[in-house]
Amino acid sequence: MSKDHKGRSGGSSDAPPPDLKKERDQFLQNFSKGARLTEEFIQEHERVQGRLQHLERENAQLRAKVEADDAVRELLGKIAQLERDKSELLSRFHEAEAVSTQFSERFHEVESEFANMANLFVASNQLHSTLSPRGVTRRIKEVLAQLVGAESYGVYLGNSDSSELVPIASEGVAGDRLVPLRLPDDSRVDEVVRTGSAWIDEEGDPSQGSIEKPPAVIPLSVDEKVVGVIVIFSTLSQKKKFDTIDFELFKLLGQHAAAALVSASLFVQVGRKIPGLEAFLDLSV
Amino acid sequence: MAEYSCLIVEDSPMMRQLLVFALARVKNLRVTEADDGVDGLRKLASARYDIIVTDINMPIMDGLKLVKRVRSDPVHKDTPIVIITTEGSQEDRQRALQLGANAYITKPIQAPQVIATVKELLEIE
Repeated sequence: MSKDHKGRSGGSSDAPPPDLKKERDQFLQNFSKGARLTEEFIQEHERVQGRLQHLERENAQLRAKVEADDAVRELLGKIAQLERDKSELLSRFHEAEAVSTQFSERFHEVESEFANMANLFVASNQLHSTLSPRGVTRRIKEVLAQLVGAESYGVYLGNSDSSELVPIASEGVAGDRLVPLRLPDDSRVDEVVRTGSAWIDEEGDPSQGSIEKPPAVIPLSVDEKVVGVIVIFSTLSQKKKFDTIDFELFKLLGQHAAAALVSASLFVQVGRKIPGLEAFLDLSV
Repeated sequence: MAEYSCLIVEDSPMMRQLLVFALARVKNLRVTEADDGVDGLRKLASARYDIIVTDINMPIMDGLKLVKRVRSDPVHKDTPIVIITTEGSQEDRQRALQLGANAYITKPIQAPQVIATVKELLEIE
């Protein structure tokens, strides 16, 4: 081998033998081709690498987007749950509010009932707290003025045969206008005396009433017999309507005022002597 | 819990009784009664009150004179005063308020209104 080499390098010409030349050319050709392919491969590799990086970036972006979508979905879920909680709380609040309003209304009703009862108790208590006819009359007037709000009125009692009603007390009317009423006369007063039922104008404004058109006529009874009437001619200007308590007060006056007056009169007639126990012994039923 | 005292000045026993009934509904309120303005002043001189409820039309000394006197009294000059009267006109209301009354209630009185007014002036829940 070294001989060959020596022989070749020591030859007259450096040109390779044709077969080697051909082989060399072939090699060079292959080498160039390989180099080209390598270059192309490197380029392709770089391109694929770039594409990979691009895809990785895209992938990362997509992943972030999906994650963001999940977060949004989660938040939407939370919002929906909060909305449901809010609705439930509102519903509970409205229920509690309704119950509270109900209680409040009931409380006001009870307070109003209590006030009415107090009015009736005070009126009844005052009517029977004296055995003087003057005192009873004064208290009837107080009930009318202070509790009913009557501005002008007359209290009439019937004579023995009920043919005439005589005014025994009045307020807000001139004396000469208050005259005895002869019955029957087809008036409202006459009707009240005949039927024993009160006549009350429930619709009109009682403050606009007059002697000719009284807004209320209340019978005064003793043992279901009408012995007189209270006629309200008008009420105070701020009293525009009769209320439930007024009807109750009218009933109370109708049933108690005359009895209190009769009791007081009889008490005066017997010289203000309180009857002894003997007077009550035969009262058992 | 704070305790309050109220002086009712009213000549009508019926109205006094009614006011006492009404104000008994206000917790921790002690009520004292006076027959008229003079009796009211006497009671005001001997004790301190947190609120005064007075009628206007009374014998001896009416409610408006009482309001004037109370407003010149160093002890009670700031005490709330509620006027109760049959007069329902705006002028009467103005007159009473100008004299120093704090509230004005017309007859016939409604217990819930009296209670609400007293509670409001005493700042009770």
